[in-house]
Amino acid sequence: MPGLSVKRRADAVGVLRYVNVLLMETLAAWVPSIPEMEAKVLFGRHIWRVAQRADSFGLRARELRAPMHHSVAPPPNCLLAFKTGAALRSTDERIAGYHDLLLGALGAGYAWYLEQTDRLVDEPSVVLIESGLREIDVMRTESARLLEDFPVLRLDPPRKLDDLRNALAVCGGMLANELAHDAATAG
Amino acid sequence: MNLHTMPRLPVETKVVRGVHLRKDPAREPCFKVVDTDAEMVAWQDMSPQSQRERLHRHMNNEMSSLDIAAQCLADYPDAPWELRMQLARQAWDESRHVMALARRLREIGGYKGEFPVANFEWSVTCYLDSLVGRLTMQNRTFEAGAMDLLARLPAQWRAAGDEKTAELLESIAADEVQHVRFANQWIRRMASEDPRVLFQVAHAVRFLAAVNTALMPRPGEVNRLGQSVESAGEVAPISIEDRELAGFTQEEIAEILRQAGFRSVAAAAETRS
Repeated sequence: MPGLSVKRRADAVGVLRYVNVLLMETLAAWVPSIPEMEAKVLFGRHIWRVAQRADSFGLRARELRAPMHHSVAPPPNCLLAFKTGAALRSTDERIAGYHDLLLGALGAGYAWYLEQTDRLVDEPSVVLIESGLREIDVMRTESARLLEDFPVLRLDPPRKLDDLRNALAVCGGMLANELAHDAATAG
Repeated sequence: MNLHTMPRLPVETKVVRGVHLRKDPAREPCFKVVDTDAEMVAWQDMSPQSQRERLHRHMNNEMSSLDIAAQCLADYPDAPWELRMQLARQAWDESRHVMALARRLREIGGYKGEFPVANFEWSVTCYLDSLVGRLTMQNRTFEAGAMDLLARLPAQWRAAGDEKTAELLESIAADEVQHVRFANQWIRRMASEDPRVLFQVAHAVRFLAAVNTALMPRPGEVNRLGQSVESAGEVAPISIEDRELAGFTQEEIAEILRQAGFRSVAAAAETRS
């Protein structure tokens, strides 16, 4: 397995940082306009989780010879999909959209990186990303608990977000351009 | 982009006693949101209903603090990353405070929406259009005042026989010291990099003074229980220890004490090493 060059790893980590910051800003913008107290504090808690993840990726980028907090926007169609998610208005759409779809897209990016990188040489990145995947699980568990206690916040029907789901499908490859280039040059 | 000032967004406003303030953040229909002390209910004693009202009010205040931290994070994407991390951390802290106070409220038989609430801190702070102004207002003024109050409240709850609430308030107080501290650090840092920042600080201070004057209880004004609210605007004696932990200098502490009429204590505070 060829792995990734140092520069490609830095740029991929930069994309992951960018997306985590975007999620942080999305949640921050939502919180004051969410009426339901329990949903408000759920997102308040998540803000710190994604902020810490972004911070970790920013520090990792420096270790990969990039500037501290190196941030790289994902491909335009993926970025547009995340911004479409950020524009969700109702609490039930936001809960489902964030936990099922936006985190799903981020998780797909994490999984892709882990599949492509050299896990020994790039172990510091692997540790961060595996931690990020666990954090996605924690956020989803907290959301599931909220919906058990407050079923009225469950999105019904789920197909209301089909357009966002379809838009985010491209984000499974948010790092793919970087990775495909590396795989091609490695031969 | 000047990180200290953002273009004035078309925020929604309200007018309270002639003063323009930011419209309230979203609240569930169960909450009766009011604007003045006269519309609140408050008891001077520590009866069961008074205890529930105190926790209920505190819970909503922490919710407002969460709303403010989140709004600052959203409104100032060009702020230094380290400062944004502090705001994100504050969002987490305030979320825990809301949850813990809600849990304690339920334990003593209360429920959300049981009493009227006001979002004064949000309405004043988020009307300001600079981050340094909002840090001055919310973290360095309102939360510093809450810090002073939280230094005293646990004793009141213990005297009422409620150790659990007293311990909860002590935990919250420890977090609030951090919120005041980071604001002190960043305001000083921003002012040292650009002295014009001090205009934003001064503007925030003057704005609060104007709001307090406009909303000050009128002579003879009472709340919904018929109790006088004339003492509602009184500030708690400052906690010198927590103010020091939060980064206030000896001079600043002494000045606050002097303004509160404690000249002899101020002199002692200034000579502390």
